[in-house]
Amino acid sequence: MASELHSQHTGNSYPSDQQSLRLRQDSSPVSNQNYPQFNWSSSPAEDEVDNSGPPRDLRSIPLPMSLKRAVWQVQQMQVPVVSKVESWKWKKTKSLHKLKDRTRGFLYFITLWGKTLQKIGGNFGGGVQSYFLFLRFLVVLNFLSFLLLAGFVLIPSIVFRSVGTSLQNSTGPEECMNYNPNPEGLVVFYHYFLDFLSGTGFMEYSYLFYGFYNNTIVEDRSFSYNIPLAYLFTAVFYFAFCLICIIARMGTAARVAVATGGSAVGNYSKIVFIGWDYGCLGDQATKLKQKNLHYRLQVDLEEERLRKQAAALTLGAKILLYSLRVFMFFVALGLIFAAFYGIFEATNFSQSRTGEEGILGLIFEYLPSIVITAGNFVVPMLCDQIALVERYSPSTTVILALLRAVFLRLVSLGVLLFTLWRQITCEGDTNSQDCKQCQYNNKLYPCWETRVGQEMYRLTLFDLLITIAVLILVEFPRRMVVDNSSNMLTQWVGRQEFVVPSNILGLVYGQTVVWTGALFCPLLPFINTIKFVILFYCKKITLFYNCRPALKTFRSTTSTFFFLVVLLFGWGLALVVMIYSLAEIRPSMGCGPFRFFPSMWSIVPTSFYRLSQVTQEFLFFIGSQAFSIPLFTLSCVVMCYFIALASVYGNSVALLRSQIKLEGRDKQFLVKQIEKLKQLEMPKQ
Amino acid sequence: MGATASQLGKDLLSEYQELTFLTKQEILLAHKRFTELLTREERDLNLNTRVPMARILTLPELKSNPFRKRICYVFSTSEQKDGSLTFEDFLDLLSAFSDSATLEIKSHYAFRIFDFDDDGTLDRGDLEKLVNCLTGETDDTQLTPDEMRQLINNILEESDIDKDGTVNLSEFQHVISRSPDFVSSFKIVL
Repeated sequence: MASELHSQHTGNSYPSDQQSLRLRQDSSPVSNQNYPQFNWSSSPAEDEVDNSGPPRDLRSIPLPMSLKRAVWQVQQMQVPVVSKVESWKWKKTKSLHKLKDRTRGFLYFITLWGKTLQKIGGNFGGGVQSYFLFLRFLVVLNFLSFLLLAGFVLIPSIVFRSVGTSLQNSTGPEECMNYNPNPEGLVVFYHYFLDFLSGTGFMEYSYLFYGFYNNTIVEDRSFSYNIPLAYLFTAVFYFAFCLICIIARMGTAARVAVATGGSAVGNYSKIVFIGWDYGCLGDQATKLKQKNLHYRLQVDLEEERLRKQAAALTLGAKILLYSLRVFMFFVALGLIFAAFYGIFEATNFSQSRTGEEGILGLIFEYLPSIVITAGNFVVPMLCDQIALVERYSPSTTVILALLRAVFLRLVSLGVLLFTLWRQITCEGDTNSQDCKQCQYNNKLYPCWETRVGQEMYRLTLFDLLITIAVLILVEFPRRMVVDNSSNMLTQWVGRQEFVVPSNILGLVYGQTVVWTGALFCPLLPFINTIKFVILFYCKKITLFYNCRPALKTFRSTTSTFFFLVVLLFGWGLALVVMIYSLAEIRPSMGCGPFRFFPSMWSIVPTSFYRLSQVTQEFLFFIGSQAFSIPLFTLSCVVMCYFIALASVYGNSVALLRSQIKLEGRDKQFLVKQIEKLKQLEMPKQ
Repeated sequence: MGATASQLGKDLLSEYQELTFLTKQEILLAHKRFTELLTREERDLNLNTRVPMARILTLPELKSNPFRKRICYVFSTSEQKDGSLTFEDFLDLLSAFSDSATLEIKSHYAFRIFDFDDDGTLDRGDLEKLVNCLTGETDDTQLTPDEMRQLINNILEESDIDKDGTVNLSEFQHVISRSPDFVSSFKIVL
């Protein structure tokens, strides 16, 4: 059979591994061909035919089709010989394969933007594609969250609003009940637009915000639905759901990052062997890719030379460089704190001027957003300039710039929330004059939850408006100027690059705002879904019309993990806000589903004691030490097992590597021996 | 082959599905695109009709690829070594470059594409040609001889584990196995 295969297939001859050494060694004296030719196909085919064990997946054998077919036919004939169990196993794997293929085909049809992503990857490389993949992940996450919120809160609220009983609070003081969200009668048309932008007026008392939801409880003989409880649990599950999604994605990214080792070892080999993207379409993209690779190789070689120079640097020069770095670090820190102070002041000012009307009022309301956006725009640019002076290696520079930007983005949001907190709870002092009556500042905030929701709604909307404005007012004109003028300056400025890290951070920030606001504005995930879909198309347009591929390519594997970690930071910030507002602050007495309760969480114990005895005992058991300690121990044992397994694998990898080196030395030794023997034989002939 | 050239038989189709990583739609699309490359007379012949390399390279997916000729040579089963492809060779090509092909098969074919002199190892000459393909072969895009020497020394230092001065298949696969980006970049989809 094997010989038959050979004769069928002589065209594609390529020597086998065992022969290679011999052939290479004696190629110069003996060979009458230009190159020794090697038969790649011979060895695996023979193995396959001789092998009576379970057949390998034919598709993964590198043979031409005619040979594969021959092997397949042999396999088909062999099937009856195999035992029943094995043939059953074989059939099972085959049907599994088929199922997998089908699902893959099906998934391909429902995957969002599959073709677009492929096109982006082909034209701009994996780094930019990773941004769009991240964006798609967030869109799907937000949409699923919206379905969760809609299913358990929104739809029941709409359905039961007329059916259920909703009670008015009559226990608290009269002043705290005052909440009248629609004070004005007739409004001018342009007011609608202003209201839409700031979430006030007709928007305020709607399903969009916390204040509109009622404390409806529907109770039938067989069915009961408690809206406040559903509201609370949905929010908690929303957070858990997002955490699970992020962790699952992180697991994949981590596996990839660990597999690569993430180190600089094999850097040049990687660029040369893996650098080419076969999905590149068109001459333009090919040329750019080639330029890109050329640049990268040159820079890396240059960097290596610089590193060698730096190692030989004198002590004085080193001290100068390090002191410069420390100084620049403090400058960057100072910039960031200046930005914080600006945000703090702006929020205070904006909150003290809430009564203003018209355009001026709108500006005052949007002032914190404007200052935050300006800060996030200016400070990273300055930090980038600082990074140039610091002269770190390029990879460190990227990480440093990212960390500074993350810090600025998330903490500036924290400052905004802190200012809001100070005014809602009178700096945490419930005995002060403003807060004495209702335990929150009821004069400024008759329904403080709605107010926080509005703030987050504005931040979300403002972020989108800024992106669109920048697209229309900055990016398009820039491209037109650059393309249509041959001025030295404009050519030097050039088209913009698509900077992946800062764009990703924008997404993380937007998502954090949504998480923070989701408790107070249940429709925010839905708004964010729409926002991110619009963002996807905006970014795609600007990418294809305004951007040139980045000169510095962006490594996608390790950074995916880093982005998810940053996303987790945002999640953590939002979680702190949620836990604090659930447990500590008194819910508004005049609005919302929790108007009776001293804190939002207190509804849980209240409803818990209304459950049946058995359920209560079961839940108590799950919470008790008798259950949790064994569970904890078990998880520890499982974890230890996996850690041990990992270290064993690591050891065997190290062993195998040293073995390869030894074998190599053996091989060289044998080659030398062969050469010596040959020289001995030569004179005899 | 019992099937006419314009339409693939059902048996043949399932056989191709068995032997390649392609789905049914992908095989049919490949067949359609391949038939478009044939001239009118050739369409009546069977599936073993060879399409010369020059015509294969008019496909937009291959047109601007710097490795296009190597790809054709590696996947061609022609005895003249002219890089011409039959439909089955073409399917082999698409299968190796498809989304779901394994790392093993992809790295195997990548190695053969980079092995410009077909001797089973990547030596200095192969590496130099490879780098030139990556950076473009005009004078202003090529690396200087100095840089090239340094680069090739670095590559050999990193990946030539047994220090025999060349990179062989297993050493190559070792490098590839540590870079998961490879599976997504070694991809041609019609």
